[in-house]
Amino acid sequence: MKIALCSSFIPFLPSGARNIVEWLQAMLEKEGHQVERVYLPEVDAPDLLFQQMTAFRWIDLSAADRVICFRPQSHLIRHPHKILWFIHHLRVFYDLWDTPYRTYEDDLRHRGLRDALHQADTAALREARHVFTNSQVVSERLTHFNGIDSEVLYPPVIDAERFHSRGHNDEIVYVCRLEHHKRQHLLVEAMALTRTPVRLRLCGASISNTYPDALKQQVAAAGLQGRVMLENRWISEQEKVDVLADCLAAAYLPLDEDSYGYPSIEASHARKALLTTSDSGGVLELVRDGDNGIVAAPTPQSLAAAMDKLYTERQRTVAMGERAHARLDELNISWSHVLKRLLA
Amino acid sequence: MKVLIVNNMAPFVWGGAEELAVHLQKNVIAAGHEAEVLRIPFQWEPASRIPSQMLMVRAFELMNVDHVIALKFPAYLIRHPRKTLWLLHQYRQAYDLFDAGQTNLPPGPAGEELRTLIRNADSESFAETRKIFTNSEVTRQRLQNYNGFDAEVLLPPINDAELFDGGQAGDYVFAGGRINDMKRQYLLLEALRHAPRNVKLLIAGPPDRPADGERLRALVEQLGLADRVRLDLRFLPRTTYAEYLNGAAAVAYLPFDEDSLGYVSMEAALAGKALITTTDSGGILSLVKHNETGWVAEPEAEALASVLAQACENPQRAAARGAAAKALWLSLGINWPQTVEKLLQ
Repeated sequence: MKIALCSSFIPFLPSGARNIVEWLQAMLEKEGHQVERVYLPEVDAPDLLFQQMTAFRWIDLSAADRVICFRPQSHLIRHPHKILWFIHHLRVFYDLWDTPYRTYEDDLRHRGLRDALHQADTAALREARHVFTNSQVVSERLTHFNGIDSEVLYPPVIDAERFHSRGHNDEIVYVCRLEHHKRQHLLVEAMALTRTPVRLRLCGASISNTYPDALKQQVAAAGLQGRVMLENRWISEQEKVDVLADCLAAAYLPLDEDSYGYPSIEASHARKALLTTSDSGGVLELVRDGDNGIVAAPTPQSLAAAMDKLYTERQRTVAMGERAHARLDELNISWSHVLKRLLA
Repeated sequence: MKVLIVNNMAPFVWGGAEELAVHLQKNVIAAGHEAEVLRIPFQWEPASRIPSQMLMVRAFELMNVDHVIALKFPAYLIRHPRKTLWLLHQYRQAYDLFDAGQTNLPPGPAGEELRTLIRNADSESFAETRKIFTNSEVTRQRLQNYNGFDAEVLLPPINDAELFDGGQAGDYVFAGGRINDMKRQYLLLEALRHAPRNVKLLIAGPPDRPADGERLRALVEQLGLADRVRLDLRFLPRTTYAEYLNGAAAVAYLPFDEDSLGYVSMEAALAGKALITTTDSGGILSLVKHNETGWVAEPEAEALASVLAQACENPQRAAARGAAAKALWLSLGINWPQTVEKLLQ
């Protein structure tokens, strides 16, 4: 089959949204399909949004037998056999409207834009033959905001067998883009309150230097240079495998994230306990408190207590890591399931 | 610098322009920058949908990009404050092919309107461009004639130069590349009949049509050349192609009146092989100087036979001409580092 995989992207910014597309491409090609990957740029500024959405409507992919669309606003692409693997809305116009992430006024003009966006999205979603999402959270938002039914299709990671455990050092690692909504700063604040020698390693690139610089200052101000390792870069896949193989546990605590996130899946494959927070959204579909990790309150105090516990109750931490691995099968997170559903 | 290479995408089709974009990306990275390729889907049929696709490209917003290198219509319509064009194609069906009556634009006022639209959009886009390069003299002249914009010719370098390191010269003349009547491999076979028996020929490459391959096989049979000719008529892996070329005594390439130097002759010169061509072959003549970098013959069998004989009778002389061809090629400065430097100016 000729399949076009469509998504939006920000040039030069690696992200999990690229992984879901490129890994699926590799799996489809392995099955003998012809795949074309269509990445189109998009900037989410309100005043520029609709002209870009119009551009998406004009794309001609009639050469494909079916298209599978991922990151917004690629779902606006027209095709008689359109499948969506919808991974998130333009959230500032949806569930994040009443949060500091909205940087423009809640006035008549912007509310008008927001409402028009909701209408356009709903219409485009209705065109699809089938709508899959990457999490329960996203499915619920589609029901709530757009009145659209969808099926959860958990995204697996590629070559999962390379992840493994070879011991447990004193580090809790957070391998993820350094962005404010991923809340690395909360962990740094928590580190200042810990009572054990537990260590923290943050690895990831960022869209700008603002947040990494702030983190660096925060670490220095708290005098944590010796216990917090900050690597502001996109580490290699091998480095990631190694870091996860050696760590004590892995953290992933975005603010109300749409999905469980690749960092937590990779850590689960490496048999490591997970640390997250009660407001992290889709991550809570994977992590159950006391089973395969700890769900802390999103406060420095609660996180500090959880980190100390992971450090001191080491045997329990190791056991939770084993449970994290078992949990992957319980949720049917596999490529064979994904291919079967997307090609149905 | 973050360099975005912007190219068209004909979905599920991969060709020379796609290859060029990938090698450009590789070489921009080698020059110490970040590089990505943005491929924008474009279907030119039906022609009535060309305007909306032009608007589509125009409506895209780029962030996190320092410099754009755009290659084709309509991809080069993309807006960016620092945009350089390496023009491989305008939409020729609105230009020279339109004038030649070979266009997919509809006849009458509708076609005229589309043509004007494309030309105006092109000119607007060229005006906001930092610098325009073209991949050939012909493209440069078209741009000058139709749109009135100056450009500099920037010939595409050899993609995988490291493969053509020369090597021990064998006892055959090599003719590589696509097989068709315009490339005139048949003429080499006709010439071989008149050449001394020590002259051998290796013809290798993909026939455009099955009939092109059949013609060569029949000629070999008919002229009784089977013991002096090897035909390897298929799409060759690059390493096999390079092996054939590196092991040749000399390289023959005699297309009829081509625009460009031709990758085959560029690669042969880089490998230090003497070149054989004909007086009417066009672009390659700026690389083949008779009795200096190789031999230029009249395009007929007996004249060609005499230069084939010369190429094979004295290996030292052939090697010296090959060395001169390499020196001339290198003096043109057509290499990736200099090309990338110009495109980033």
